[in-house]
Amino acid sequence: MNLELLIHAKLEGEITPEQHAELEDLLRGDCNARRLYLELADQHAHLLQRPTSNTSRLKPSSIVNRTVWWRNSTLIASAAAMILMAYVIWPQKHVDKEATSIGAAMLSQTLDAEFSQGTLHSGDTIAPGTITLNKGVAQIEFFSGATALIEGAAQIQIISAWEARCMSGRVRVHVPPAAKGFLMHAPDVKLEDLGTEFALNVNGKNSEVHVFDGEVIAHSKDKAPSSLKAGMSLSSTKGAVSPRDFLPIGEIQGLIRQREQTRFEAWKTWSMEARKDPRLIAYYPFNHLGDDKWDRMVNTVAEPAMNSRNGGAVGARWAQGRWPGKAALEFKRPGDRVRMNLDGTYAAVTFACWVKVDSVDKKYNSLLLTDGYESGEPHWQIYEDGSLMFSIGYTGPGEKRITAKTNQMYFSKPVFSADSLGRWHHIAVTYDNVSGTVLQYFDGKEVGREVSSLHQPGRPIVFGSCEFGNWGVSTQGHPFPIRTLNGAIDEFAIYQSALSAADIQTMFEQGKP
Amino acid sequence: MDPASSQRTEEIVLLLTQHQESLFRYIFNLVTCEADARDILQETSLALCRKFDQYDSTRPFLPWAYRFAYLQVQKHREKSSRAPLMFSEDIIDMLALDMERMAPELDQRLQFLEGCLGKLNPKDKELVTNRYAMRQSAEEMMQRLSVSRRTLFRNLELLRVRLHDCVSQQLQSEGLV
Repeated sequence: MNLELLIHAKLEGEITPEQHAELEDLLRGDCNARRLYLELADQHAHLLQRPTSNTSRLKPSSIVNRTVWWRNSTLIASAAAMILMAYVIWPQKHVDKEATSIGAAMLSQTLDAEFSQGTLHSGDTIAPGTITLNKGVAQIEFFSGATALIEGAAQIQIISAWEARCMSGRVRVHVPPAAKGFLMHAPDVKLEDLGTEFALNVNGKNSEVHVFDGEVIAHSKDKAPSSLKAGMSLSSTKGAVSPRDFLPIGEIQGLIRQREQTRFEAWKTWSMEARKDPRLIAYYPFNHLGDDKWDRMVNTVAEPAMNSRNGGAVGARWAQGRWPGKAALEFKRPGDRVRMNLDGTYAAVTFACWVKVDSVDKKYNSLLLTDGYESGEPHWQIYEDGSLMFSIGYTGPGEKRITAKTNQMYFSKPVFSADSLGRWHHIAVTYDNVSGTVLQYFDGKEVGREVSSLHQPGRPIVFGSCEFGNWGVSTQGHPFPIRTLNGAIDEFAIYQSALSAADIQTMFEQGKP
Repeated sequence: MDPASSQRTEEIVLLLTQHQESLFRYIFNLVTCEADARDILQETSLALCRKFDQYDSTRPFLPWAYRFAYLQVQKHREKSSRAPLMFSEDIIDMLALDMERMAPELDQRLQFLEGCLGKLNPKDKELVTNRYAMRQSAEEMMQRLSVSRRTLFRNLELLRVRLHDCVSQQLQSEGLV
């Protein structure tokens, strides 16, 4: 076994006594081996101690529980030791280190964009590096304040928040006063922007610049810097250039709006059909009803109408949903929720929902929960590690409540992380009481499949009083745990059947923003 | 407690909090077992507390504290001398010496590690979360990621190698190596 493998085995406690002896021999004889060991062990030790960054609970640092400590309790007499204990038993991993990012810009808008780097989404932070846009249009907002609109095919190198290089393609840059001095490199020329708007076309070794507004200083090789004012162009070839050759900005933004409108309309058409699905228990499209004087109605539109299953918002405020013009309810404060009452007894269920999670900041983050947790009632939540959690329990004979022994819990892989927060995602879960299989989906893809060892076929599923985005109403003198969702919901469908993977995929495709 | 001793208490608590990470790393690098390292850290903190009146606050705290940590590691080794998976005394000595020499470089590496963590692909990030932040056991991770034990450890190995390479590269490009 080579040195590196031995070190890793040692770090994970997976090393055999023979391998350990081999490792010791290598360390004893070679200071470079010890260096490698120390670098890897130190990195491991640091990771074990590392504070968790970003969204408070997503990566909680749990503490290794050790009881050994109490052996020493006789030694601890003074208040000093008591204070000290608080630090050593619950090590507050360093006190003052903040989460850091090396991002220089963010991708703010895209239109039919296809990147060589695979999946880049609007809202993604971009670290320094090269971005290759094969087709479509992408808008990049630099953290300095400069904005660049890029048309594929193009290749752009992001150097920092203040500097970029266009290797090929058409780019249009807007620089507000705060980002004055923003530098754009192109073959043979460096453009220093003095607060303005200009466009750049790069084709092979040739570059053409046109200034629409303000002033740009062009630094070319072997020439004195020249100032380009509004309406002026510069070309490395002899040919004449016209402003029409450059990327038009208004048109592109119009196209982006238009695309959003098209997607919104497509979803509306799908939604009109979907509400006729006989498998629906209830379907809430979160339409903000103009004629609702109380502004609190969250109606189900499943056909035939079942007005008794209409929901009522508490606290939660209306916000923009997946598209401009589409409403959503935002859950933020501990009391925010949507109350419903769903009657009936079912043999299978599907929950499907469009949700934007801003932060996973509690141990349990509510999606749909029944009041309390009685026999046969399903709960659907986001667990602190960002996974989807579905649970249902049945009390045994003579038992009053669901216990750890009767609670069936199903977790998906973690799906909410810094990369997926703050964006609209489609999540779904299906469960049928015959096979007992729980399938969970994220953006149309399966992320969890499990049958609980506690499953017994044929037990009914019921709801009664339940709510979106929160859990429980306190009864006199009994507080309730806070499980408010930190985010927004803009569509929620509940079916009395386990929908197929193809059904879920269709829902995602039809509704994606 | 008289005011002077309560001030001393505050001082040691502050110092321990401030240097806990470095002390943990020092101990861990010598014993390579998290649970043992935490125990030894506790014993070390207690020892430092008891002997704090001998500490000369005009001198740096860590070198002074490392001596106690080293002694506690030796003590722990004697206690569990039959455990075959602990480094022998001569190796511990060599590592302790190397570590004091390499301290600035090791610290520098950790500065770069943060940036490298940010560059990991989503799969590796998930692995970091599961293994380090959530402290999931191998069994839990095998189940949640549905991989075999072998694959899991191979993936963890690759993750650490990627991080190590990334840090080395950054150091090199900064001209620090």
